[in-house]
Parts: sequence; C-alpha cells; structure tokens
Amino acid sequence: MATGFSYREKTLYASLAVELAVYGPYFFLHRQNSVNKVAAMIIAIIVLQIILQSIIAGLTRNRVTDERDRLIELRGYRAGYLMIASLMVIGLGMLWFHATVGHLHLENRMVGLHFLSVFFGMLVIADITKTTAQIVSYRKAL
Amino acid sequence: MPAIRNQIRELRAARQMTQQELADRIGVTRQTVIAIEQDKYSPSLETAFKVAIVLGVPLDKCFQYDPNGRR
Repeated sequence: MATGFSYREKTLYASLAVELAVYGPYFFLHRQNSVNKVAAMIIAIIVLQIILQSIIAGLTRNRVTDERDRLIELRGYRAGYLMIASLMVIGLGMLWFHATVGHLHLENRMVGLHFLSVFFGMLVIADITKTTAQIVSYRKAL
Repeated sequence: MPAIRNQIRELRAARQMTQQELADRIGVTRQTVIAIEQDKYSPSLETAFKVAIVLGVPLDKCFQYDPNGRR
C-alpha cells in the first residue's frame, strides 16, 4: 500500500470510519436505545477494529512509529480529555438545572438507561474528537 | 519565517539520498522527514543529531534557530 499516509494515519482513518459507521446509526437512527444495544455496539466496534487494523497491518510494509506519532497521539488524548471534561460539566449543569426546576424524575424506571446513553454518548464524542484531532494534527504544522 | 529552519532537503539531494533512506537511517517515518523538510515539525534533539550524523555535517549546518521566527 504505497500511499502518502503513514501506518498510524491509515489506522486512524480506519478507526474514524468504524466509529462513525457504528455509532452514527446508534445515535441518529435508533430511537429506542437499550443496554443490549450498547453492549452490541461495543462488541461491533472491537470486532471491526480488529478486522480493519489487521488488514492495514497486513498491507503496510513499513509499520514504523516515531516521536511525531507519539506527540500527535498525546495531542489527540488531550483534545479527547478536554471534550469529555467539557461534556461532563455541561451534563452536570443540565442535571442540576432539571433537578432545580423539578423536571428530574428519578423514580422513572428508564432513568438509568437515559444516564447510560448520555455517558456512552460522551465517551463516543470524546473518542471521535480524539481521533479527528490526531488526523488533523498529521496534516498541519506541529 | 519558522523559528527553526533546516537545510535537510538540499543536503540530502547533494548526497542523492531519498526521503525514505534518510527516514530509515534515523528511525522515523518518511512522513516525518517530509514534515521536517517543510518546516512543519521540529524534531527532538536526538533526531536532529541523528540527521546531522547521517548527512555528515555539524548540527548547525542542518538546523538554524531564528529567535524572531514564529513557533
């Protein structure tokens, strides 16, 4: 595979494609989320990642990673951390607001699933932010 | 102008060395060599020394620092 992309870049594009392909339908097409669907999502991500990463590793002769790859990886994790921290603050703020105005009904049996969906969504958005930040870092000056 | 500039492309061309050959000898990817040559990435001190050794020139012939350049 003689492209202008390094091994790490190819794996990042594959990761982003898998994340969007699996999480996209979950968040935008399915109205009724469930614990089983979250579990199926995680298994699908793991299986697809293993298959795609194996294909890329098999097709890429030069699998060197270097200091620039490590620096970009760290930048990605920093962007992902900032995203999840921001979402946590927003989420807690909204929770506080709803509790204050009396819209929060913790006796509702679906509330656990809603919280699971929200936290899962935060993790997904942070993960996509991390991968996207890494892809962008490869294309701009560090 | 960037704070750290380099003459790697010229020095490499004078030795008829490809980007891939230089990358292999200093232990980085070809994309990193491209980024260094385009002043898009300032390598670590260790990599900078490796580049100078492989090209057979002193470090300051490869890399120059401009205190007024952008970082």
